[in-house]
Amino acid sequence: MNEEKLTSKVLTRLNEFNITNTNILLSSPIDLSFDGNYVKGYVVITKDKLAVCTMVLPTNTINYFRGADKGEDLVDNEPGDYDVAVYDIDKLAHVRLDAFIGSNIFCGEYDGEFINIAAFTNRYQQDMNVLYRKLKSFLHGGELVAEEETESEEEEQAEETKKNKRSIFMRTLRYFLRYRLEVIVLMVTYLVSGVINIVWPYLVGKVLFDHVLEKDDAFLSRFNLAGQFMLALLVVAVLMILARVIQSVSNYLQIFVMAKVSSRMSHDIRTDVFDRMSKLSLNFFVNKQTGGLMTRVLSDSDRVREFFIDGLPMIFVHAITIIVTFTVMYRLNWKMALIACILLPLLVFMTVKLRPGLWTLSGKRHRAEKAVTGRANDNLTGARVVKAFGQQDNEIERFRHPSNNLKEAEINIVKLRNRFAILYNMVMEVSSIWIWLVGVFFVLNTHEIELGVLITFVGYVMQLNGPMNFFSWIFRMWSDSINSAERLFEIIDAIPEIQEKEDPVRLTEPKGEIEISNVTFGYKVGRPVLKDINIKVKEGEMLGIVGRSGAGKSTLVNLISRLYDVNEGSIKIDGTDVKDLALKDLRRNVAMVSQDTYIFMGSVAKNIAYGNENATRADIIRAAKLASAHEFICKLPDGYDTIIGASGKDLSGGEKQRLSIARAILADPKILILDEATASVDTQTEKAIQHSLKALVKGRTTLSIAHRLSTLRDADRLIVIDGGRIVEEGTEEELNAIENGIYHNLLELQNKSMALNMDF
Amino acid sequence: MSENNTINMYEKKAEEMTATHMITAEAVFEKTEGGFLSLEYDGKHYDRIKVVRLFPFSDANRYISVREHDGNSEIGIIEDLGQMSEKTQKLIEHQLNLCYFTPVISKIFKIKDEYGYAYFHVMTDKGECKFAINMGSNAVTKLSDTRLIINDVDENRFEIRDVDKLSMKERRMLDLFL
Repeated sequence: MNEEKLTSKVLTRLNEFNITNTNILLSSPIDLSFDGNYVKGYVVITKDKLAVCTMVLPTNTINYFRGADKGEDLVDNEPGDYDVAVYDIDKLAHVRLDAFIGSNIFCGEYDGEFINIAAFTNRYQQDMNVLYRKLKSFLHGGELVAEEETESEEEEQAEETKKNKRSIFMRTLRYFLRYRLEVIVLMVTYLVSGVINIVWPYLVGKVLFDHVLEKDDAFLSRFNLAGQFMLALLVVAVLMILARVIQSVSNYLQIFVMAKVSSRMSHDIRTDVFDRMSKLSLNFFVNKQTGGLMTRVLSDSDRVREFFIDGLPMIFVHAITIIVTFTVMYRLNWKMALIACILLPLLVFMTVKLRPGLWTLSGKRHRAEKAVTGRANDNLTGARVVKAFGQQDNEIERFRHPSNNLKEAEINIVKLRNRFAILYNMVMEVSSIWIWLVGVFFVLNTHEIELGVLITFVGYVMQLNGPMNFFSWIFRMWSDSINSAERLFEIIDAIPEIQEKEDPVRLTEPKGEIEISNVTFGYKVGRPVLKDINIKVKEGEMLGIVGRSGAGKSTLVNLISRLYDVNEGSIKIDGTDVKDLALKDLRRNVAMVSQDTYIFMGSVAKNIAYGNENATRADIIRAAKLASAHEFICKLPDGYDTIIGASGKDLSGGEKQRLSIARAILADPKILILDEATASVDTQTEKAIQHSLKALVKGRTTLSIAHRLSTLRDADRLIVIDGGRIVEEGTEEELNAIENGIYHNLLELQNKSMALNMDF
Repeated sequence: MSENNTINMYEKKAEEMTATHMITAEAVFEKTEGGFLSLEYDGKHYDRIKVVRLFPFSDANRYISVREHDGNSEIGIIEDLGQMSEKTQKLIEHQLNLCYFTPVISKIFKIKDEYGYAYFHVMTDKGECKFAINMGSNAVTKLSDTRLIINDVDENRFEIRDVDKLSMKERRMLDLFL
């Protein structure tokens, strides 16, 4: 992170303006000029000055972005001179940071005129945002403090661990080593089959042909079998059968243990990831595609397991097989060994050459597959719209394209694979014929080797193919699995943005007082949705929140239940900052009925009792009654046991909403948040729900967001949010009294249009 | 009577919100000293305006929304930048180029993929660049079969206008994303 610091060259230049290292309070690099070219530069702030230094870069400069490796390139970082523009801070006002596509502009009012100050890419968004926020609070009369370093250090550390593949490997190994006993059994079975693989050709070739069939007394007498050739044959036969039986048993054991360990290991990884994922804050899910997360949980864990179970132990086994086989061959007859192995490098070369093509192709197929499922999914879920607009034919046409791509990709794979297999087999055949030929030549002409040795050799060479082949793809498997493991650890290591404090404050006797002070919040840096919100809600008060769509109303209530953390300011419940409260207590005491209702797969009763398992049937019915849900539930075929959600019966929007109201009622929270809770029900039902809500809000602090102002008739106090700020606040009468106020106008409009509708 | 006034006011507002104004050649765009664009249109003066491409990919130089500086309300739409005066074209293009800063990749030197990240070394119309993308996220967007938008880890954008114009070797490096 050295480059983020001011260089000596820029400091020397700044010296001319009496800006020195000692009086610089804030600085941030920038990298764009206003005519849209990359430059090198800095924004520097002292107590009374703001300086923007830029350097035009020659055309051959390489521009580096975050994560890019600049190791080998030795280039002059500062090939030019800095241009400096200096502004007096006391003439500066209303600074702002505008984020565009790929560029950001820092601008503000200077001496009454609005000016552009600096431009930069997203590379320095974070640095500039820190500078901007501090400068802004300084302009508002705050204290200007030097930058804190801690944040960037942490980041660096995170990046460090991410890159460290060895640690990833070791961490994954730990999952695997949990099953030590099973792993040992696996290793033993691998060894057994390895040993038998080596013994077999020797037994079948050298022993059977050269010693037994050739009636080699010297050899047989070693086993006290001199002269008893039939018996010797029998012994060899029994040995052969025995070897095969042992191999089968060990294979069986191997498959059995492997199935057990591998499914358990996948399970372990999966649960770890899922467990972690559910703890992460909402932001994480908003930023990632659900589909991508699904594959992470499901297929990545399998891929990791694959390498560690199928790959890793085989590395040892195959390596040993290769070494031992070569040694034995060499000991038997080194000339023959050399001749026999002459074609092996060709096989290795072929696999090394052709495999990567296969991988690219399978990657392509995978993506094509994704496109097809995506398209199909899109179409099936949107079937209603497709039919309503009569787009079936067009959709079929649109489906054809990705489907065609998939077809092509598959054909290509099969083509290449066939070519590969045919070539491979051919070379193998040729090499075995070659050994036979040369071997027979040796046997006939030189008597250096015998028939048995030749057969042993053919067996060995054939046997080498497997391990050789294995090594050609194991490296790919390794890197794939490390990739997958890394993606998994990214989740496992992700620090939830919403974290419970160690030793949190428990909320044993909640009163339900909310105090929001100076809250500023945005989902993305530099784009605040809420600005400087201050409001206090007393115990048992009902606060109505009014405002245009997109004004930040839902965001505000999301902050109270701490689905997100505020950027600036604080939110307190009963005098304690929500960040210090135990999440369990917070969630239990704050219930939200939001505009997007979610119905889980399960029965109606389970859905109402979600998060409240101990509720009795009577409780559930009472809650449903209060939410005006009881009536429609009675009409469902299986009453409260009707299965709803993804695979069950479909409910209408209003019905879902009433269920989630019932859910909140049953939860019996101290703070109730109604975010457009009655938006999708008809006026009559709304009346009924409102009636029950009236009973419900008693003794609770209620925040209610509504577009229909009639919903808020019972509110003790109202606030109007516009553009992220509270613009009006007071009782209904007070707000209505503001001539041309937003609330006043809205109310009049709604009353009027209602009256108009009545006329019809 | 005042009630009717409010209704009228809202109706007017609603009308205003739904109306589409086309900005024609009569509008006067001017560069301010602070580096912004000002606009003289329909008898009103706006001292800082914002321009937004409505079809940034499919039709970058047509249908450009001209908005007040806070971005919240639209002043009007330029249907075709090519129909405006040369000076206006230059001013607006300059502004657009800055706001939609997307270097166009003309040559690929190297793409290395390693542990979930791909490292690019490319030549763009803004100079040589080295950047990294996250393979896990959808960093590469296919606008068509041959046009790509690549987002680096900071969401800086790079564009490949036409994959077919690249050499065989470059395309092979890109194969990972096609």
